[in-house]
Amino acid sequence: MKRSLLVLGALALLAACGGKGASRPGPPPARSAAISDAGAVAPDPLGPRPELAEAAPFTPPIPIQYKRPNGTEVWLLERHGLPIVSMQLVVPAGAAYDPDGKGGLAATTANMLDEGAGKRGPLDLAREADRLGATLRTGALADYGFVQLTVLKKNLGPASDIFGDVVTKPQLNPVEFKRVHDLWENSLRARQSEPEAVAGVVVARKVYSAGHPYAHPIDGTLGSAAKVTLDDVKKFYATRWRPDHARLVVVGDVTRAEVDAMLDRVFGTWKAPTVPAPVDLLVPPAPLSGRGEPPPVARRVVVVDRPDAPQSVIAVARPGVSAFDEESAILPRVNSALGGSFTSRLNQDLREEHGWSYGAHSRFSFTRMRGLFVAQAAVHTEHTGEALQAMIADIGVMSKAGLTDEEVEKTKQLARAELVETFETVQAAAARLGRNAGVGHTPDHEAAASRLMVRADKGQLKKAAAQFLDLDTAVIVIVGPRAKIEPQLKAIGITAVESSGTEGQ
Amino acid sequence: MTVILHENHDVPIVVVNVSFGVGSRFEAPGRTGFAHLFEHLMFMGTRRVPPKAFDAWMERAGGWNNAWTSKDRTEYYDVGPPSSLDLLLWMEADRLRDLGPLMTLEKLDAQREVVRNERRQTSENTPYGKVELRLPELLYPESHPYHHPVIGSHADLEAATVDDVKAFFAKHYDPANASLVVAGDFDSARVKARIEQLFGAIPSRGAPTGPVAAGADASSKPTLTAVVKETLEDNVELEKVVMAWQTPKHFAPGDAELDLLSTALSSSKASRLYKALVYEQKLAQSVEASQESGHIGSRFTVGVIARPGVSLDRIEAAIDKELDALRKKPMTDDELVRAKNLVETDFVTRLESVRERAALLNMYQADTKDPGFAAKDLERYRSATKEGIRDVAAKYLVPNARVVMRVVPKKAGKAK
Repeated sequence: MKRSLLVLGALALLAACGGKGASRPGPPPARSAAISDAGAVAPDPLGPRPELAEAAPFTPPIPIQYKRPNGTEVWLLERHGLPIVSMQLVVPAGAAYDPDGKGGLAATTANMLDEGAGKRGPLDLAREADRLGATLRTGALADYGFVQLTVLKKNLGPASDIFGDVVTKPQLNPVEFKRVHDLWENSLRARQSEPEAVAGVVVARKVYSAGHPYAHPIDGTLGSAAKVTLDDVKKFYATRWRPDHARLVVVGDVTRAEVDAMLDRVFGTWKAPTVPAPVDLLVPPAPLSGRGEPPPVARRVVVVDRPDAPQSVIAVARPGVSAFDEESAILPRVNSALGGSFTSRLNQDLREEHGWSYGAHSRFSFTRMRGLFVAQAAVHTEHTGEALQAMIADIGVMSKAGLTDEEVEKTKQLARAELVETFETVQAAAARLGRNAGVGHTPDHEAAASRLMVRADKGQLKKAAAQFLDLDTAVIVIVGPRAKIEPQLKAIGITAVESSGTEGQ
Repeated sequence: MTVILHENHDVPIVVVNVSFGVGSRFEAPGRTGFAHLFEHLMFMGTRRVPPKAFDAWMERAGGWNNAWTSKDRTEYYDVGPPSSLDLLLWMEADRLRDLGPLMTLEKLDAQREVVRNERRQTSENTPYGKVELRLPELLYPESHPYHHPVIGSHADLEAATVDDVKAFFAKHYDPANASLVVAGDFDSARVKARIEQLFGAIPSRGAPTGPVAAGADASSKPTLTAVVKETLEDNVELEKVVMAWQTPKHFAPGDAELDLLSTALSSSKASRLYKALVYEQKLAQSVEASQESGHIGSRFTVGVIARPGVSLDRIEAAIDKELDALRKKPMTDDELVRAKNLVETDFVTRLESVRERAALLNMYQADTKDPGFAAKDLERYRSATKEGIRDVAAKYLVPNARVVMRVVPKKAGKAK
């Protein structure tokens, strides 16, 4: 079967570009003379620094929300600029629901969905998606599992048929499971030599107490992978991938009538099982303390030895915030000033002032239960001690004094700009709305949160910084050559250093 | 200077993209990595925009920026709200006009250390990252402008002087060597006048002429005439093999065919290499293939990570078998349609972003002198035939003239 895609509408976007002009060889005076005049005695040819007008306010769009007969909640955001549709189905089947000792089950279940579904085996399914030029992805994050599809409008019909099969009729075949499982275990072996991935695994393992739903990596460990069977996958799928707890985000060049006709066809036979949903799905989102609140301990320093590494990956971590806490709306601005942009304090200090690193950054994760705060940098090994000391000091100053006036204004502008870009493209908008739906927010969450974020004043930002950046009980993980790191830690007064393997063991 | 305006009011975003016709292939002997180091120095300030103000003022206006350097080109882009456009243009004009003469050793030293840490982070401390440091040296003779990696060597980065910086700026950062794109939510007539005012009076010495390559292009034969093998030890768990060939330059006959071939080889579960090596024979953990197109030549690479216990000899034989089949017999009609549709969809989805549109316009300007080349570009892929792809594979992806690099775990001092 041949299908050639029409993209003329899109091309018109580029073809409309204005002609080139203003080619100006000009007289070639001695360059140095021209430059020594600039900004000095003669009037500056560039004029003064332009005054900034206020950027127009931006409120994120709110998708319309409605329920389907089978209980699935639809979030629809129409965007008719380019002939593209992106959709994402989310279910509360993330890694947080992995049974004890079977970390990675949620992710592996999601990975198995497109390994054969409906009448098509895995190769036929991939071939058909390729033929349609469709991008189909399945996966799991901490709170939710997802299936995501992006496709040109003209191929939405046949592509959504595949999407429906993947969600509702996965084959979960033993031969394919064996292959997927082998690849999974190999990727966990490979992870051991990826320093940033190792730092992430160890941070979660050490910040959360054992058994906490977020303590294990989403893709599990070598130990947990060995225990996950196809029966586990089948059971997890049957229990948790159900329409009455699913949400479907649709963004792009499509109307509600078109969406409903598509869903009647694609999800018409997908019915909620008669057994009640697992009780943990019905519990309201956990507040600040979730299951297994991290124990209040003193600051810990954990080193994962990576002999001969030219850099140390340093992660300074502590419990963060739940996506449902009020502070989650304004912490992005605190983080922006601390380690969220190029001019942030951490990046300026470690990179621009000292040249110890190619870059330092920080982030809060926004999850159902309380997430993490992590500040991270890969630093030249010989500066590990100094860099860590600087990171702790920078975070400490922010937690005590909050943002400067300049930072209050800057982070307001950056937060607004970040939102505009988040909703710029169909794919990006679908990804953000998918996250909000997966975590359990309402469709107007982004709009409401953005109002709080823009309005937050210096006092509120200072309070949030004090509450969420105190490092008294922080966990510091360093992946690097222990023999070279330890004397440097001693020199900055850190003598109690724990060791860890690459999986936090 | 070339100016390209692309007005579109769909979203309240403007992008300023400035591309300079200089990359690592223009570097002087003993100064590898300099073009990229210089890119970092472009943010270090002038008299009007003091050190650190470039980024600080831009972020205060709700904007952000980044830049990249390739073998052929250096590109700077700024993204911001419409209200920031005047500032973005003013700061770009300022640094193009005045940056070089105001360079100091302090500024140079600061970014030298940053760049050396960039090298450590992205190449030396990343699994398989060292391949990119060595592959160009094996693929091209020492006299070839593509012989060294863009990031350069530590020794050469350490050797760079303030005079080097000033001379490089004077030679390459000339309006005649620059192309400015403004894309997004702005008024063309007003911005055109403003550009004239800000950039029009910057003096020019004319475009510099770059080194002329003896290397591969459409009209000359590849310089590689034998199989070059090398094995690297690295901190990795799984072994990997990377094969590389010299192939036709960007937009030369054969370039689009090799793009489609790389898609057919590795882009999905049903692709040739993935299906054979990962799915069916279960020899490999992952496969990758790409045509990396350059101004004076391209390289085609195939990379395969082996499963534990599978020898790289077996992997190489399995790759060769698949490539041999594609050299001898055209791919199926269905494979061709799939590859074309994947390439086209990717093309359309990229056009959604103002930043990507600005980057594409400057890419076409740099590589074809026609910023409106998009339709013709797409036509290359649409008109490609399976026989044409077979012929290009047979001509360029030859078994007896290629680089074969292996990466294996370090024997001693291996992390547990």
